[in-house]
Amino acid sequence: MLADRAKAMQRVCFGAEPSEADLELLGSRERWLVYRDLVRNRLNTVIGVALARTKSAIGEDAFGRAVDEWFDTGSPKTRYLRYVPSELSEFAIPIWQLTETPWVADLAGYEISAWEVRHGPRNPESVGEFAFDKKPVLAAAVKVLRLAYPVHERPTPKKGYEPKPTILCLYRDGNHKAVPQILNPLAADLLEAWRTTDQTVAESVQTVAAAHNTDIGPTFIEKLSTLITHFIQEGILLGGHSPPS
Amino acid sequence: MTRDVAGIGLGLRYDLATELLERQPKSVAWLEIHPENYIDRGGRYQEMLELAREDWPVVTHGLSTCLGSAEPFDASYLKGLGTFLRDLEIPWHSEHLCLGGVDDRFFHDLLPLPFTEESAQMSSQRLIEVRDAIGVPLALENASYYAPQGPDGLAEADFVVEVLQKADAKLLLDVNNIYVNGRNFDFDPKAYIDKIPMERVVQIHVAGHFVRDDGLRIDTHGEPVPDDVYELLDYTLRKTGPVPVLLERDNNVPPLDDLLSEVDELWKIYRNATGIVDAG
Repeated sequence: MLADRAKAMQRVCFGAEPSEADLELLGSRERWLVYRDLVRNRLNTVIGVALARTKSAIGEDAFGRAVDEWFDTGSPKTRYLRYVPSELSEFAIPIWQLTETPWVADLAGYEISAWEVRHGPRNPESVGEFAFDKKPVLAAAVKVLRLAYPVHERPTPKKGYEPKPTILCLYRDGNHKAVPQILNPLAADLLEAWRTTDQTVAESVQTVAAAHNTDIGPTFIEKLSTLITHFIQEGILLGGHSPPS
Repeated sequence: MTRDVAGIGLGLRYDLATELLERQPKSVAWLEIHPENYIDRGGRYQEMLELAREDWPVVTHGLSTCLGSAEPFDASYLKGLGTFLRDLEIPWHSEHLCLGGVDDRFFHDLLPLPFTEESAQMSSQRLIEVRDAIGVPLALENASYYAPQGPDGLAEADFVVEVLQKADAKLLLDVNNIYVNGRNFDFDPKAYIDKIPMERVVQIHVAGHFVRDDGLRIDTHGEPVPDDVYELLDYTLRKTGPVPVLLERDNNVPPLDDLLSEVDELWKIYRNATGIVDAG
């Protein structure tokens, strides 16, 4: 009985069209449509804040159709309101890749990444000092984005973005904002290696430089030093852990 | 060590945090947070909580572990919630007596339970389960609702009391919710209050609500507290004694001074009703 009512509530709140049978089971057509509005409005609000530029680019109607379709076929699996826009994006970006102008999917991906960085996890509490023979420790809220369009540039051009391959590091600054930083391909690969492998800094530099056919000479060392200093100053690179012996 | 929570508190919300944390108004005696907004989250929210704890005792009020679902709890979430709550050294945690999700999908809103024996039995069992899992005292909160109940159930107050007694639980008594429900469903809020075992009340919520053109009252936490709710609070505090009172304001957040005027009004009622003269 309780389970049947609960499922009817879910269909009324998230279904494309609430059925008269469910509304009759629940007992008050008008009031359960109030609940439908309350539930959808709250979720639409947080989604609209997270993807404000995407919504503006696509238009409210097309954006709303994607959200409605997600409500109907998926709806939030997360208990955290801040993760709702990410779940919607996972569903909607593949649709927008097919239906919208090509840069829109990049814009949505950029916006949702910035949202996730801004609301991302806490940094680890105890981190050792940075050293080349240690495994580097990055901030918890850092992402590398590889885009076909420079959608981080604002305002959005009236005629849309022209193609321009762009690699960004998105990180949370001292004011808790998500900040984009343009990276070259080698720096981006290095950052991703630091996040995804167990190599020390020295090992990852050798691996990535070799993959880019780049000699580790004085010029490279100087640029690497500048890059690492910048990453540390911006809170992207927190320090290092000694590798397990 | 758990810090004493007494007098009038305010919900710590993003929109008012900057000014609140800078000014540290003495009339605000404690703060309430929603743990879902802080668990595993860095950035501004982490900073807000750390700053808040320097100056105020903190109490937690959950949004997603609603007690009315028939499905198993997420054990890993409850474990993490318990760790978070114990680290905060809170005196109690509260959750809503309602339905928050179905089939691993979350409404992100508080949907009503039927006020039946079956529902009371299930909710009380779940309350005990959550309380055991998190390892801190747990209070349930009476919720607002907008859809009429079936003819075969209990009155809302009887339903709440039934769950409290079955689970031997504490109560976060939301007087605005009782007022809203009373106006929407034509019952006397004071008669509801009269049925509550006052020894179980550990905290009170007050808030404003929105009145639609058709007269339906929606518990938005987006309006100033109306006089009728102040009056109901006064009536309640005269029965409970000096139970901590929280002003909830989640939407349409006004300048802090406007909220502090409401806090001052709450202190006046609190002192008059309880005879406490030296708090705040």
